[in-house]
Amino acid sequence: MTATTTVSTTGAFRAIRRRRNARALVVTCALTLAVGALFVLTMMVGSFQLTAGEVIASVLHLREDPSVDFVVRGLRLPTAAAALAVGLALGAAGTIFQQLLRNPLASPDFVGINSGAGLAAITGIVLLQAGGLAVSALALAGAIVAALLMYVLAWRDGVAGYRFILIGIGAALFFDGLIGYMLTRARLNDAQQAMHWLTGSVGQADAAELRLLLAAVAVLLPVALLLQRQLRGLELGDDAARALGVRTELSRAGLLATAVVLTALAVAVAGPMIFVALVAGPIANRLLGPATGGIVPAALVGATLVLVADLVAVHLLPTPLPTGVVTGAVGAPYLLWLLATTNRQGAGG
Amino acid sequence: MTRLHAEGVTLGYDDQPIVTGLDVRIPDGKVTAIVGANACGKSTLLRGLARLLKPRAGAVFLDGKAMSELGTHEVAKTLGLLPQTPVAPDGITVADLVSRGRYPHQGWFRRWTDGDDDAVTRALEATGTAALVDRPIRQLSGGQRQRVWVAMALAQDTDLLLLDEPTTYLDINHQVELLRLLRKLNAESGKTIVVVLHDLNLACRFCDHVIAMADGSVVAEGEPTAVITAELVEKVFGLSCVVVPDPVAGTPMVVPS
Repeated sequence: MTATTTVSTTGAFRAIRRRRNARALVVTCALTLAVGALFVLTMMVGSFQLTAGEVIASVLHLREDPSVDFVVRGLRLPTAAAALAVGLALGAAGTIFQQLLRNPLASPDFVGINSGAGLAAITGIVLLQAGGLAVSALALAGAIVAALLMYVLAWRDGVAGYRFILIGIGAALFFDGLIGYMLTRARLNDAQQAMHWLTGSVGQADAAELRLLLAAVAVLLPVALLLQRQLRGLELGDDAARALGVRTELSRAGLLATAVVLTALAVAVAGPMIFVALVAGPIANRLLGPATGGIVPAALVGATLVLVADLVAVHLLPTPLPTGVVTGAVGAPYLLWLLATTNRQGAGG
Repeated sequence: MTRLHAEGVTLGYDDQPIVTGLDVRIPDGKVTAIVGANACGKSTLLRGLARLLKPRAGAVFLDGKAMSELGTHEVAKTLGLLPQTPVAPDGITVADLVSRGRYPHQGWFRRWTDGDDDAVTRALEATGTAALVDRPIRQLSGGQRQRVWVAMALAQDTDLLLLDEPTTYLDINHQVELLRLLRKLNAESGKTIVVVLHDLNLACRFCDHVIAMADGSVVAEGEPTAVITAELVEKVFGLSCVVVPDPVAGTPMVVPS
């Protein structure tokens, strides 16, 4: 081990690290720009076409123009903000679950968190005629109960492997069954409302629910960013994480709570929009390089997906459809591909 | 005075105590092997020493202080552990994995420094994995992979390093290579190393101190030449054997009779 080899190893390692950091920076900035552009674009198109300048001026209150303000602030901003917030929340929550459970199938929409939130919310809508914040509260309670149920049923020496996934899928089906039962009990009007909500749509956002979700995203994304380091440790297994000095129980509880709350509030606003949480993390990893697991890039990918899906669903299709139909149409083939390749490699379990 | 010792520790999982009322001292600056039959509690003891298992009774002391009273970060700067089955995230590269060993040296807002670069470099060089930095772990051979994990534990830059059966899935050549690496680390930096091993002959050949366990208690400890006898092997493993000097190093070698 001579001095020269040390210097060259340091150089090589440093170069790799710099390259990775640079890539992370470029990807994050590009995603931020894309999300910003899509956010503005969503508010430009429609039966009343607007320019980017008009939209930005109206959103930032730079210019007063009653007709433009009505369309932008009154009609389109809530939908655009809902798409943005729901996407950010689902993208972040999905990648946290996947890394914590060390399985690409372990996104909250697959392990019953969305279904639990959906069941509680639907029960509220159908039986109690609940709306607004009450639906958010119910969805949150449902998601927490579902998460605790998973924890009790599947948590034995950690949760790696298919055990958790299988129990989660079972629980999701059970909740979905109960949702079906609730719908048969509902009055026609409520049922139609509930069905629309269940497909997942950002166009239905209730103002109070949306404000709560926006606040949660603003608080919890930085929290998730702070816990990213702990997550990187936990990924190596509980023993390795503890040996590195990670407080495993506390960190995991914090990360799970963050992901469950984000999922629940997103579900309350837009319904259980499927596949966004599943694909956001893997797409971010594809952009950043393997095993990088950035929570913020995944959140940005989630936002991009929902904004695009909303644009497609509302403007490109001959008849406007709920956003969830589009995310499902994109997500399902990905899921099949994932299942096929995961089995072949024998990985992911 | 030893930096790491256990006093009257009882360790176990769920309601089953596996190790009861054990006293163990780990000699400083030496390579210690913990040996014994399957399920004798050797990995349990190691996990207890590394504070992965909380003692039901007694305590583990690091530098004279009860481990339970030290912060987990603080312990992680002094004592590193390579667990039996660590998980490599899918697609992770050697550089990324070894970097994660720097965890205890970083804080909420502390950024990566030149010191971290140096520590990772030293770990890569010491383990002969510097040429692999760019490679995904999945593509490496079993022996290379184990050396990368050792590199991660080394990057943690601790005076004490504990390894739980690091040779289990390796062929004889890679087992020897890994133990030579541990010897080298001990010789070059005076690291105290504790390693759980299955192979008695390798333990005798490469370690300064042997702790032999059976049924959750220590049966014998000391230098291999003093400790490893036919009677002990019979007692610990239930194997009748002859112990002869290793033809190369002269250390005890167990030959089944």
